[in-house]
Amino acid sequence: MDSSVHLDNVVMQFGEFTAIQKTDLQIESGEFFSFLGPSGCGKTTILNMISGFLEPTHGDVKIGGQSMRGVPANKRPTSMIFQNLALFPLMTVAENIEFGLEVRGVSKAERKKASDRLLELVALDGSGSKKVTELSGGQRQRIAIARALAVEPRVLLLDEPLSALDLKLRQHMRAELKDIQRKTGITFIYITHDQGEALTMSDRVGVMSAGRLQQVADPITLYRDPHTSFVASFVGENNGIEGKVLSLNNGMAEMDCGQLGRLQGRVHNTVKAGDQATLFIRPEHFRLQAEDNMLTIPSKIEEVNFEGAYLTLNANTAATKLAIQLGAHQFSESLVAGADISLSYKVEDAIILGAAEYV
Amino acid sequence: MFNQLKARFGSGLAVGVIGMIAIWIIAMVVLPQLLMVDYSFRPNLLPADIGGPKDVYSLVNYQTLFTNKIHLEIFFKTIWSSVLVTGLTLIVSYPIAFYLAKVATPQKAALCLVLLIIPFWINEILRTFAWYIILAYKGPLNALLLWLGFIHRPIRFLSGDGGVLIGMVYAYILFMIFPIYNAIESLDTNQIKAARNLGAGWIRTHWRVVIPHAKPGIATGCIMTFMLAAGSYAVPSILGSPGSRWFTQIIYNWFFEGGDWNQGAAYAFLLLVICIGFIALVMRVFKVGLGDIAK
Repeated sequence: MDSSVHLDNVVMQFGEFTAIQKTDLQIESGEFFSFLGPSGCGKTTILNMISGFLEPTHGDVKIGGQSMRGVPANKRPTSMIFQNLALFPLMTVAENIEFGLEVRGVSKAERKKASDRLLELVALDGSGSKKVTELSGGQRQRIAIARALAVEPRVLLLDEPLSALDLKLRQHMRAELKDIQRKTGITFIYITHDQGEALTMSDRVGVMSAGRLQQVADPITLYRDPHTSFVASFVGENNGIEGKVLSLNNGMAEMDCGQLGRLQGRVHNTVKAGDQATLFIRPEHFRLQAEDNMLTIPSKIEEVNFEGAYLTLNANTAATKLAIQLGAHQFSESLVAGADISLSYKVEDAIILGAAEYV
Repeated sequence: MFNQLKARFGSGLAVGVIGMIAIWIIAMVVLPQLLMVDYSFRPNLLPADIGGPKDVYSLVNYQTLFTNKIHLEIFFKTIWSSVLVTGLTLIVSYPIAFYLAKVATPQKAALCLVLLIIPFWINEILRTFAWYIILAYKGPLNALLLWLGFIHRPIRFLSGDGGVLIGMVYAYILFMIFPIYNAIESLDTNQIKAARNLGAGWIRTHWRVVIPHAKPGIATGCIMTFMLAAGSYAVPSILGSPGSRWFTQIIYNWFFEGGDWNQGAAYAFLLLVICIGFIALVMRVFKVGLGDIAK
């Protein structure tokens, strides 16, 4: 069954305010797609448009190729897991799961079968007669998943459902969600401000800022090859060095970074010579010994933190502060606060992005 | 409670406050009621005979109701009509309460609340008289309906119970709206969205999610409306016709026209006891506990 979702040039306006700038996006059938962005970026608005709680001002939402314009929320083939789960507290666990089937007029015996099967899927067999309030946070989470899956949706919408859980449970639930997605083959659309969640679970991630989709890519591409300054600084840790582009040459550019001198990095076609730009280098790309094809930035260590598997350093340069991450084996006695070091990076690991680039 | 007050305000003030409350409750509520209970079990005598050999306790005053067919009929009619008033008020109030709590923007909800409250600054008698005028045979409502062509000759709203029902629904609507509004407002809006998202239409969403949540509020509103309606005097005496008397009017007659306080007190207690019993029964049927209402 085609369970693709197509945001066909949608725009969402609330009065004068444009919550979603014109967006065109195809989410494939069976894909795990995440919208990642800070709060207020419009990601929940997108979810509300897909589920039918909001009707886009312009454009159309298509599910499985069918236009959803004018189709009310209760008639769409979508199912949502809410941030606060929104389980019905006055119903038992089984009644919660069976609610969607009850609405569809499924017989009691069939409903019971379905809820037993789903409880098994989420590893909570035999909890059907319990009250929702008797369950722990993680168990409630799984009931919410079971309830949403019971109606056999084509698209499952998840609105930051893990944010209320503690770290350990959150990591466990990530794996479980991924597993359920593989088993059911349903299209998952996941909303989060937590990049770890988005990167670990998703097939593709759409990074959003201020109502605009900044970049859509698989997690590795997103991390290695950000297309905008926003994506570069929002996804993962990054060091940004401001400067002015001097020259471009075969996908590489040279920048005048003031007191740090001339630095080079990869560049995207939208940057021109003379533009203000930012050179991004990830903390783990710095080396203490220079090799071939490396550039060096002199700096002074401000702080050293030993984290077990790795070290983090904060260093001051003539122009800016840098965060550095080294493997624990690179630790030496000379790495102390106040020591002078030279930080090197491979030219192809750095990326130069203009201030206002959009995809 | 005394210790808490003492800790906060000192013993002098604590004794004062508790004392005043005690005087209020004992002297102005408990003692008069006890006096009325005492009255209701004694015969109505001339002043000279009070305390004499004829002044004995008996159930005669209570038996009167069950031997007087007309009074008994009015008694049950009062209970039934109060049920009707409660039901009608609930039907009118629930959509308003839901709109105020979940649909309207905060500004609109505030405006609506003000518009609902302002009429209640006017005395109940005056408001009821306004309805008397509106519902009159040659009144504006009939004129409007005639002009619109819905009816061909005026309706006698004020004969029978129609006028009384309309007047009471209007008089007690706020007592129904506010508890239901409070209850619905405390419902997480995501619950409604979740029900919609799982495919429920509006009726099922209300039946399975909103109403179960609002049940304590609905119960509170219904109890208040029912008690007020059963004990109402002004509305039936103004909007009722001779054929639609309310039991409170009979009680009034015993006290102030018959001059038989003993008989009146017995009737009043019968009404009170039956109303409380009826409410207890309804709460049992709908599985509402006292704790739910006190929330």
